Amino acid sequence: MHVFGVIASVAFRNFKALRNTSLRLSPFNLVIGANGSGKTSLIQALQQLRALAKLPLGDPAAVTRVGGSEITFVFDAPHLGVTARLGCVDDVVCDLLRVDPVNAAEWEEVKVELATMRSYVFDHAAMAVPASRDSGQRLAGDGSNLAAVLARWQRETPAAFDRLQAELTRWLPEFTGIVLPEDAGGVVRLGLKIGDAEGPVMADNLSQGVFYVLGILVLSFDPAPPAVVCIEEIDRGIHPRMLREVRDALYRLSYPAAMGETRAPVQVIATTHSPYLLDLFREHPEEIVITQKHGHEAHFERLADRADLAELLRDGSLGDMWFSGILGGVPEES
Amino acid sequence: MKIAFLSESPADEAVLRILVEGALKEKPTVASAGYRARGWPNVLQVLPAVIRHLHFNTDVDTLVVTGDSDDSPVHTTAHDAPQYYHPHCRMCQLRAVFRQTGKRFPAAHGRLRVRRVVGVAVPALEAWLLCGVEDSVNEAAWTEGQARGILPYTRAELKLRVYRTERPSLPHEIACAVREAERHRRDLRRLEYDFPGFAALLRDLREPIPEIS
Repeated sequence: MHVFGVIASVAFRNFKALRNTSLRLSPFNLVIGANGSGKTSLIQALQQLRALAKLPLGDPAAVTRVGGSEITFVFDAPHLGVTARLGCVDDVVCDLLRVDPVNAAEWEEVKVELATMRSYVFDHAAMAVPASRDSGQRLAGDGSNLAAVLARWQRETPAAFDRLQAELTRWLPEFTGIVLPEDAGGVVRLGLKIGDAEGPVMADNLSQGVFYVLGILVLSFDPAPPAVVCIEEIDRGIHPRMLREVRDALYRLSYPAAMGETRAPVQVIATTHSPYLLDLFREHPEEIVITQKHGHEAHFERLADRADLAELLRDGSLGDMWFSGILGGVPEES
Repeated sequence: MKIAFLSESPADEAVLRILVEGALKEKPTVASAGYRARGWPNVLQVLPAVIRHLHFNTDVDTLVVTGDSDDSPVHTTAHDAPQYYHPHCRMCQLRAVFRQTGKRFPAAHGRLRVRRVVGVAVPALEAWLLCGVEDSVNEAAWTEGQARGILPYTRAELKLRVYRTERPSLPHEIACAVREAERHRRDLRRLEYDFPGFAALLRDLREPIPEIS
């Protein structure tokens, strides 16, 4: 069964290092490449689209700028053929949005999906901080309201909370559950129960990796997930043997039917620098995007588009081949 | 008997444990550390270090290693001839690593060397799991397909048939794999007959542990 993403493709012209390149997006996309090669720029472009899509559309004739940066998004079924073109003043600010065809009803549907889009760069220090009970509607981009989100799930969607907790204790069997004590001022703290120990281990004593695991699990088991999720450095702080679980958690978003879920698929764009995580995509090279940088210019390549891929896969692991430079996506040497 | 396993995934290890138990008709002591490789050729790359570690640092007497053949040449009886070595056959490669790594080791922990138990699943472990369920899935069919240039099935198809999805979660993969392996546990003869790469593993397992004379 073909699974559609929200966004079918994105094309860049003069946006940061992405001077002239385009990328087909799948339901799941793992982006690899050297530092500064455009991985984050891809996610920033999606954030710009989300921000501009909130605004009312202007007169199409008035939203054309000659020159400058331009980012064009083509949407997937059921909005196939709809395009959104961003015009940017510079590398940071895009201030023009043109939608074709101008079909108000259809664009409204796309806008609803784009409004849910979220980007994450987890920050373990921020995730350890107690959070106000009322701030837990949606996990913040750095995960800083983690305790409040979990507390809200525990109150309002206990089934989702229980599933997350069960998965956490499967990934990290030294823990037996989550505790979320709340003080009189409505501030929630996060702790984890550990074996037969008397008291829980509170957030300020948990390891970095535990927070990243919790962040991934919150995204994976979200009972009302966004239509599109972008996650940077998805492998950070996580033991290489647990990367299979990380991959499965992301697949739970993009391919819910494969995991027995009945909700709509979530389009995932994740970045990594881990060859070990890359190894896990040997059977699905179509999900790998390589950012190639040459001088000041970068472009995207789908791994599956390589004509010699079958031969390459016979000779070694994807991760080792990436590190070797055969696949590109490695830092340039002076 | 104390056994260690080196496999490509936790699901593979779960299957191997059941099949080895079925062959031994008893539950062996298993080394607490789960040794793992990240697919082929990583199995081959880490194997010398694992053998060395087990020999000198543990009392493990048997190391069970498996790999998938993928598209490589399938091991045949001709490869078993003395001094024969097929450079692309994974069974030959794994056996050669055992031979070369251990040949200069002094005896340790009461045994001459760690016993080699090697199997190769053709073309992937999922074929073993389908043995007896789908008659068309066997090593001869794959070998014949390789010779004709028309493979009877792909590895992806085998995985889909076992897991019913192209992207199984690890718990689902293990549950399916264990269910099929349990089916074989009491009677391994069909698996042994249909998959010489498994029969080779059983033969190794029946060899005595190399003891100090």
